[in-house]
Amino acid sequence: MRPRGLTAVFSTLAAAGLILGSACGARSTDIVWWTPSWGQARATELARQFEAANPGLRVKIEVTVADGLPTRIQTALRSGAPPDLIEAQHGWVVPYAQAGLLAPLDDVVTPGDRPDYLPAALDYDAWNGHLWGAPFRIETHAVLYNRRLFRDAGLDPDRPPQTWPEVLDAALRLTRKTDAGRQQYGLAITGGGEVGNTLFRVLPLMWMNGGSILSDDLARVTVNERPAVEAVTFYTELFTKHHVSPPSTLQDDGLADRRLFIGGTVAMYQSGQFDIAVIRQENPTLDLGVMKLPHPPGKDTAAALGGWSFIVPKDAPHAGEAKRLARFVSEPAHMGFFTDTFPARTSAMSQPRFSDPILTPFREMLPHGRRVPPARNWLSIVQVFFDHLQRVLLSELAPQAAMDQAAREMQPLLDRP
Amino acid sequence: MRQRGGLLFVMPALVVLALLIVFPVCYMGWLAATDSQGHMALRDNVAAVTGARATRIAVWNTIVYVGASIVLQLVTGTAVGILLNQAFRGRAVVRSLVLLPWVVPGIVAATTWAWMLHTEFGIVNQLLLQVGAVSKPVGWLVDPDMAMPSLIAVNVWKQSPFVAIMVLAGLQAVPKELYEAARVDGASFLGEVRHVMLPGIRDVLVGVGLLLTIWGLNGITLVYAMTRGGPANRTLILPIQIFRLAFDAFQLNQAAALSAMFFACTLVLVWFYVRLSGRREDRA
Repeated sequence: MRPRGLTAVFSTLAAAGLILGSACGARSTDIVWWTPSWGQARATELARQFEAANPGLRVKIEVTVADGLPTRIQTALRSGAPPDLIEAQHGWVVPYAQAGLLAPLDDVVTPGDRPDYLPAALDYDAWNGHLWGAPFRIETHAVLYNRRLFRDAGLDPDRPPQTWPEVLDAALRLTRKTDAGRQQYGLAITGGGEVGNTLFRVLPLMWMNGGSILSDDLARVTVNERPAVEAVTFYTELFTKHHVSPPSTLQDDGLADRRLFIGGTVAMYQSGQFDIAVIRQENPTLDLGVMKLPHPPGKDTAAALGGWSFIVPKDAPHAGEAKRLARFVSEPAHMGFFTDTFPARTSAMSQPRFSDPILTPFREMLPHGRRVPPARNWLSIVQVFFDHLQRVLLSELAPQAAMDQAAREMQPLLDRP
Repeated sequence: MRQRGGLLFVMPALVVLALLIVFPVCYMGWLAATDSQGHMALRDNVAAVTGARATRIAVWNTIVYVGASIVLQLVTGTAVGILLNQAFRGRAVVRSLVLLPWVVPGIVAATTWAWMLHTEFGIVNQLLLQVGAVSKPVGWLVDPDMAMPSLIAVNVWKQSPFVAIMVLAGLQAVPKELYEAARVDGASFLGEVRHVMLPGIRDVLVGVGLLLTIWGLNGITLVYAMTRGGPANRTLILPIQIFRLAFDAFQLNQAAALSAMFFACTLVLVWFYVRLSGRREDRA
């Protein structure tokens, strides 16, 4: 019996050793960098340059995909064995920091560097007196439009609409049966997919109109006050009353809108500059135009600032080396090369790739970019807002009634520690 | 000595079991009872999740989704199983084809159906419009009255083959003499179904029904991939609400509290299933 028993014990130890061995497969000086698939080639090139400049350090790139990324990052951060450097959207950084999952990055973006950064990008990553992310990519939305469909509808594509009434008028004229008998829609909005899709489209409308979901001091819900409700009304009536957005609106996110735009089903939709390359690739004949986000008459435009930051997990095995790598990629020349959209540093903006005329409206929107509120339980609050906005899109509730009900559900979330 | 040797042999499996099942369950209990700082907060966590409107909607939707799915899966699966038990040409091929929906991975099936039922791009609407069955696209997954029935239909399509195969296996065990006796008594085919087949597979149906209930309660893939719980929470089920709390809102403690309550309900069903299995083994 003893030999058999010993065999079982050895088997257990061998299995445990195998698991531990595979977990410790990376070399001790490897910096594990999680980068999304779209930036893999550029990340690989920068990693090669970093290794050449830092003998003894090696960068191991692990590619992530957009779908489910917040869940994957959150799981890794809580696992106790996270990667060393992660690219995360600005909006995720402070919630991770509030949960005690990140290392501060005040020494990556030093006080001397900060004047070179877009202030709103730094604001996004700041909490409790520290910087918890190093922003490298920034972007805002604009409205992309099909210039040929504008001409077909008797509109001047060189003078796109600038105000809410003008864009509604254009959308109504663009919503028609084409000569081929196909139904065309003027302006696609989103009402489905990830909550962020719709938040990034409605929240700027509230800001333009002088409202928001929460008060500036983040103590009070203001989503049911007049400016916010007017914005919700304008947005939802594009679908419920004017029917200028397609019937699939309640299941459409930004990607679905882009597909409808590329296929010529919709003439305008709101998105970021990252869509331009895809549109040009999938429909090279599409005559593309871009306009700034239309605003209420007599008021200024606004946009939600989006983009990506580097974060270093609190439990990162090589936090010091990861910060060195983040600092390396944050140098203006490297940041300008690495980012998909605009760089977070103004000095990196001078690179030729950012001077394409079609990017001008996006660049002009940047100074109007704002961070989404860094409120407690913000993601739960946004989910409540989205659920009630969908009820308006379903014509189940009027905008004011829906936002009143949303406010009643949001305030306890805001008050909860 | 012999017993100790046996214990050592099962040790690796027990260690793995403990790591993969017992530890997560205990950790869930700990999370449910504490807040993010580790202080005791069971009552707060339970109050937060039970007070949320979304949770109440999710409970009701889960009952409707699982209840309707199971009834239809059992009815469809049993009918198909009985048909597959009859002798006809090409029966082996048909039996294989019937299994297809069940063997297709859940996420593949859900994504494919989501595209097929898409209001604008979906092939279902294209076909219906072409043959003139509808005058405008149907919002299969966005119309509040259509979304839940559409999900139930896809769920029935996916799981009915499992019921059919289990019923088929059960029917093979029914003694031929019973059919012959029924025929001697002048029973029609429907009479055979009612008086011979269904009583013969009653235990199978109860067991399968319980299994389907447990799987249905835990299933998230189909609904999450097709509607994410929308529109306006019309298809929000409890697993999605738990997922939202944990990974969208980072409220792990509340998510654990809701999971624990949900787990307790599922345990009752598991207990019934284990009891039923034991009874069947005793009879055998």
